[in-house]
Amino acid sequence: MPRTVLLVILWAAVAAVLVALPHALSFSQQEILVFMTINLLVVASYRLLTLTGEWSLGHVVIVGVGAYASALYTKELGIPVPVSMLLGACTSALIAMGLSYPLFRMKGFYFLIGSFAAGEIIRLLWKRFREPFGGPKGIKGIDPMPDFSIGIWDFDFFEPVSYYYFAGAVVALCLWLLWRIERSPVGLTFHAVHWQDKLAQSAGVNVRAYRTLAFVVASGFAGLAGALGAHYIGTINPNGFDVETMVFVLTWTIVGGTATFYGPLMGCIALTVLNEIVLREMGFEQMRPLIYGAVLILSILFLPKGLESLVQKLVKPRRVEP
Amino acid sequence: MNPFLEIDRLTMRFGGLTAVDGLSFTVEHGAIHGLIGPNGAGKTTTFNAISGFYRPSGGEVRLRGEVISGLSMHEVARRGVIRTFQHSTLFAEMTVLENALMGTHMAFRPNVFAAIVGWDREDRRGAYARAVEALEFFGLEGLRGERAGDLAHGHQRALGMAIAYAAHPDVVLLDEPFTGMNPEETTRMMELMRKLRDSGVTILIVEHDMHAIMGLCDRITCMSFGKLLAEGGPAEIRSHPDVIEAYLGGARHVS
Amino acid sequence: MFDLLAQTGLNALYAASYISLVAVGLVLIFGVMGVVNFAHGELFMAGAYVVVALYAGGGAPFLLAVAAGLGFVGLLGLLMEFALFRPLRDNPLGGLVASIGFLMILQATAVMGFGVRMEHIPPVTQEVIAFSEKVRLPMSRLYVIVAAVVLLGALWYFLKRTRFGWALRASAQDAEAAALQGISIGQTARIAMFIGAGLAGVAGALTAPLVSVNPHMGHSVIVTAFIVIIVGGVGSLEGAVVASVAYAFVHTLVTTFWDGVIADIVGLSLMLVVLIVKPTGLFGTADRA
Repeated sequence: MPRTVLLVILWAAVAAVLVALPHALSFSQQEILVFMTINLLVVASYRLLTLTGEWSLGHVVIVGVGAYASALYTKELGIPVPVSMLLGACTSALIAMGLSYPLFRMKGFYFLIGSFAAGEIIRLLWKRFREPFGGPKGIKGIDPMPDFSIGIWDFDFFEPVSYYYFAGAVVALCLWLLWRIERSPVGLTFHAVHWQDKLAQSAGVNVRAYRTLAFVVASGFAGLAGALGAHYIGTINPNGFDVETMVFVLTWTIVGGTATFYGPLMGCIALTVLNEIVLREMGFEQMRPLIYGAVLILSILFLPKGLESLVQKLVKPRRVEP
Repeated sequence: MNPFLEIDRLTMRFGGLTAVDGLSFTVEHGAIHGLIGPNGAGKTTTFNAISGFYRPSGGEVRLRGEVISGLSMHEVARRGVIRTFQHSTLFAEMTVLENALMGTHMAFRPNVFAAIVGWDREDRRGAYARAVEALEFFGLEGLRGERAGDLAHGHQRALGMAIAYAAHPDVVLLDEPFTGMNPEETTRMMELMRKLRDSGVTILIVEHDMHAIMGLCDRITCMSFGKLLAEGGPAEIRSHPDVIEAYLGGARHVS
Repeated sequence: MFDLLAQTGLNALYAASYISLVAVGLVLIFGVMGVVNFAHGELFMAGAYVVVALYAGGGAPFLLAVAAGLGFVGLLGLLMEFALFRPLRDNPLGGLVASIGFLMILQATAVMGFGVRMEHIPPVTQEVIAFSEKVRLPMSRLYVIVAAVVLLGALWYFLKRTRFGWALRASAQDAEAAALQGISIGQTARIAMFIGAGLAGVAGALTAPLVSVNPHMGHSVIVTAFIVIIVGGVGSLEGAVVASVAYAFVHTLVTTFWDGVIADIVGLSLMLVVLIVKPTGLFGTADRA
C-alpha cells in the first residue's frame, strides 16, 4: 500500500526533525522548547475539554494540582519521580471528578466563571497553607528525574536536551492517546453533546456523565503535564498557575482554532515561537505583552476560525469510516 | 396484562398555569397513535412530559406497567421510548452517517479504555452496520457523507427518524413531523411512518396537520385546554361534535 | 469590640463604594454589549495612572485629574466598542478574547510608560474624622464614598429618568425589540461603553492616592467585580450595588478577624455557592448564558 508507506516515511521524517531539533538551538531556546513541549500537552488536553462545548478557566490550576501533587509525593513520601508523575495525573483527575459535581450544574458563561472560582480557591489554598504547600513561595528543590542510561547514551535530566527527549516521548504518547479518544465513538459523543445536547439525550446519552468524563480525562493529562514541568524546573509556586497563565492557554487555543485536533497545537507553537524567540531576539522585552495582545486581537478579528482554517483551506478534510 | 404505554392522570403546572390537567389515555402496542388538539391545548407539553423533558407535576406515565415519568430524558430513552424534535434538530455539523451512529449509542455503549486499546472493533463494526441499516430504512444511504445541516428539509426529518430508529426503539414519539412539508413530502413521510410501524415500532405523533393524521393514525386522542376531549378512530374523531367545535373555536378547520 | 466593628464597617463602606462603581460599569457593558469585559480591571488601572500623570506628575488639581480619568477611560471604552466589540458583535467568545488582548496592551503600555514599580502619589488631604479613639475615617476615604454615591445617583437618574436611559435599559433587556422600537443600537452601545468604562476609570482615579498603583493592580479588581456581579445577578445594576456592599462587609470583616487570603477564599466560595444554588444571582432575573 503506497499510502501507508508514504505516511510511515512522513512520520519518520517528522520524528527525525524533532530529534535533531534541539541541536540546532541555543541553550535558552532548548529550555523554551522543553516548556513548549509540555505546553502542547496542556492545550491538547484543554481541547478535549472544549469538545463538549464548555470552556474552563480553571485548567491551569488543574495542571498545578498535578505539579503540586507529584512534587509532594516525592518530597514527603519518597515515591520515585516517574511513579509520582503518574500519581500526580491521577490526583488531578480525582480533583476534577470532585469539582465536576458543582461545576456541571452550570453551563456556558456560568461554567466559565464557576471554573475560575473553583480554580482560584484551590490556588489560594496553596498560597495560604505553608504546610504542606509552602505558601506564596511554593515548593523548592523538587526531585529531578533520576539520571539513567541506555547503552552508550546517558541522560542527565538537568540537561534540557535530555529532558526534551523524555518529555517529548511522554507528550507524544499522550497526544496519540488523546487523538485516539477523539476519533473514537466516545469522541463522537463529545461532539454530539456539544452541538445538540437535547438530541443526544434523546438517543440515551447521559450528557452530564459525558461532560464529566471529558473533564476528568482532560484533567488527568493536564496533571501529567504539570508534573512534567515541576520536576524539570524544580520549583513551583501559586503564581505560576494564576489566571494570567490561563490566558496564555486560552490564547493558544483560540488563535490556533478548536475545530481540529491540530489547531490548538499550531496556536501554541506559533505563539511560543513569536513570543519567546522572535520578539525576544528583537529585543522587545517590555513590549512583548503588547505585541502579544495585538496579535490576539488581530487574529480574532481577521482569523476568527484560527490558524487551522488556513490549513483546512489547503487540505480538504477527510471523514473517517471504520 | 398491563397496557403498553399508559398516560395516567398526567398533570403539568407552570407557576399558576395548568397546561395539562389530569390527562389519561393509552397507546396500544404496534399502533400509530395521534395526539391532536387546537393551539395551546397542551399537546407539546404532554409530549415533553412523556419523553422526560419535563417532570410531571402529577400523575404517571407507564411503559408496560413500569413508571417512566420523572426519569430524565436519557433514562426514558434507555427504556425504549425515543423522541424526535420539532423542526430539524440534528447534529448539523456532523455527517449523516455520524448522526445515525449517535442513534446506536445505547446498543454499543462507547468506552474510553476500549477505544484507546482498540478492544471496541466489534462494537464499532456493529454500530456502523446498524447506522447504515437505519439510513437504508429511510432511503438516506446515498447521503451518508453529507453534512447533516446541508440536507434538504425532507431528508433532515427522515434523518431525525433514522437516529431514533437506529436506537432500536419500542416507541417513537414524533413531534409535529409534518410541519413545513409540501403534500409530496408529507405523503412520502407517511409511507416511512407506516413502514416504521410495520417493523414493530409503536408511534405516538403530536400534530397540527389534520389531513395527515386522519389518513395515518389507527387511533387518535384529541385534547383541549389540557384535558381529554375525545378518543377514537379517525372516522369517529372527524365527526365528533366536540372536536369540530374545538377546532372551529380555535379558528382552524378540519380538512 | 464595638470600636473594631465600627472601624471595619467604615472600611467596608469605603471598599463598597469603589467596588460598586467598577461592578456597575461591568454589568452595564455586559447588559448592552453582551460581552464579558475582561479588561475592566485594566480600565480601573488606567484611571489610576491618569491621576499619577496629571496630579502627582503634572501638579493639576486632584478633582480635575479625576474628571480627566473618567473622560480618558470613557474614551478607551469607545475605542474598545469601535475596534473590538462592534466587529465581533456576533461572537461573544470573540469579544471576551479581544478584551483579554486589550488588557495585555493596556498593561504593557503602563509598564512601558511608568515602569513596574509602585507609584507614590501625595495624599489629597491628611485630615481625619475621629469618631472616637479607635474609630477614624480619613477624609480622603470619605471623598471616595461621597463621589460614589453622587455618581451612582446620577447614573440612576440618567437610566430611569431620561430618554437615553430608557433606550439603554430597553436594549439591555432585548436588543432586537429595542431596535424595532427605533432605538439606535450603535448609539446605545457607545453610551454604555463610555459610561461603563468611565465608571471604572473614575473609581481607579479616586482611589489612586489610597492604594498601591501598579500596572498589575487590575487583577484583583476584576476578580472582585466578577464575584459581585455573579452574586448580585448578572445583568442587575441594583444587584451589583447591593452585592458590592455585602461583599465589602464580608471581605473586610474576614480580613480583619482572620486574613486577606481567607477572605478571598470566602468571597470566591460565596460566588460558587450562588452559582450552584441560584445561577441567576440573588437579584437577577435575566438568564443570558
